[in-house]
Amino acid sequence: MKKTVDISLPVGPMHPCFKEPCRIKCETRGEYVLAAEVELGYVKKGIERIMRGRPWQEVMFLAERVCGICSVIHNFVFIESVEHISGIVPTERAAYLRVIVNELDRMQSHLLANYSYCYTIEHETLAMYLLNLRETVMDQLELITGARVTCAFIVPGGVRCDISSDIADELRSALDHIDAELTRFIRIFETGPLIGLRSKGIGILTKDAAIESHAVGPTARASGIDNDQRSTHPTYTALGFSPVIRQEGDNFARIMVRFEEVFQSIRLIRSALEAMREGPIRGGGTIKAGSIRYRGEAPRGELLYELTTDDYGRILEIAIQTPSIPNIQVCAHAMLIDAQSAADITSIFISSDPCIACTER
Amino acid sequence: MLSIINYIREFLRPHWITTFFTAKTAPLVTPPHFRDFPELTDKECTHCLACMMICPAPEAITVVKREEIWRPEITKGHCIRCGLCIEACPEDVLTSGRILAYKKEEELTLQGTFHIEIDQSKCMGCGNCTVACPVNREIDPALRSSGTSTSDEVIMRVDTGQNKVLHEEKCTGCKTCEESCSNGAIRVARIVEALQGGEK
Repeated sequence: MKKTVDISLPVGPMHPCFKEPCRIKCETRGEYVLAAEVELGYVKKGIERIMRGRPWQEVMFLAERVCGICSVIHNFVFIESVEHISGIVPTERAAYLRVIVNELDRMQSHLLANYSYCYTIEHETLAMYLLNLRETVMDQLELITGARVTCAFIVPGGVRCDISSDIADELRSALDHIDAELTRFIRIFETGPLIGLRSKGIGILTKDAAIESHAVGPTARASGIDNDQRSTHPTYTALGFSPVIRQEGDNFARIMVRFEEVFQSIRLIRSALEAMREGPIRGGGTIKAGSIRYRGEAPRGELLYELTTDDYGRILEIAIQTPSIPNIQVCAHAMLIDAQSAADITSIFISSDPCIACTER
Repeated sequence: MLSIINYIREFLRPHWITTFFTAKTAPLVTPPHFRDFPELTDKECTHCLACMMICPAPEAITVVKREEIWRPEITKGHCIRCGLCIEACPEDVLTSGRILAYKKEEELTLQGTFHIEIDQSKCMGCGNCTVACPVNREIDPALRSSGTSTSDEVIMRVDTGQNKVLHEEKCTGCKTCEESCSNGAIRVARIVEALQGGEK
């Protein structure tokens, strides 16, 4: 008689499919996953400790170095939190410029996440197509801010630099290019039978489980939860923002939510370019003493900054809660359970777009 | 079937076919708008230390006198290429990417006020900070060779074994004192404001 042995299967910390080091410890019976736990702690930076006692002009650079893939939103949320403490309101043009750069950053992050997923399910052609398309977005970020990743674009009361009409035209034509290319790639993704076999009905996160385990971002929105911090942001509401929601809750839905959010970002940038009027890009204002809890929507979900400043504008206490913290736990305790194949462990994990650098800070 | 049709449509596009047969890696060129390490322009540095004040990276920029001329020097391993020094410099001595052009066009500035804090429980009155302070040395040349000063015009001096701040308003926020303090007793709070349209 064949003996069934329970195996403890470690995946990682170094794995070809992972962008960053982490270990998934799975309890399996054959290929069937009984339980999983994600073990972290390989890339701890202690960045919140370094931030303490420093003024905004130093902390804004540390904040965007929390994560290299979603650097703009860390800068965005940090600066908006100190602005809320000090009662500074950004100028109208600066508010739209912030949205443009933030949405470009979201596009590149989502394209990278979907590249990773396609790579994990061994569809390298589509993966490389997406990575190539991401370069177009990175070029636009570089054109506007001067740097591809650490943009350092947002300062209290405004932004670092304006965009001229030439840059706006170049941005519009790049958006048209991305729109056309991505429509074709999504058609390949949606109709691919092998992609469907690896994605549809795999790693299901039900709405109840998502609510119970506090999933955020595209992972939650793919399970039918209307949770997007941009819905309450004044600039986004002025641009007519409404979140993308799907009901299936499987790998396919999570990837499709990200694809649809790229189109949504394109629409937001286009309408921001239309709505923008000439005007100042900086309003000035110094940072006052106070404390705040402020939320923003990062590409992976809700990002929370809790900070205290003193009379001289220095950051006394700071705590950052990044979206990958709940999402990694949701993945381990709700999505990986009952996976039918060990090959699905990596694809389910990558579909929740985990960012280890964010999680460990 | 639909999938196969999609692949055929993808690979039969004229653009795909031409790029497939004429594939060529684009040359690696740094675009002119890239925010690289700051470089010097032909303008004259006035030793105002605004660049050192705003710099977020430790010891990335220092203003030094070589052959009787003050000029900022960048330590490339420390510089994070943020470009704040270019915006803060009132004399347009530094340039990188498009920042200097934007700054001139839209009159962007970064201005700061400063507050010196000395933790008396940590300060041992060694006078390192008073000697290192470039403004102190300009005001009282005696501080270049000794730690004591009789001048009342200096920013700070050691008095009865403890460091005392006399003229906080003369501070340029350059952080030299912070870096020279062996106990971490002195901190300079820099309250910086990002402005547009000249002086407020």
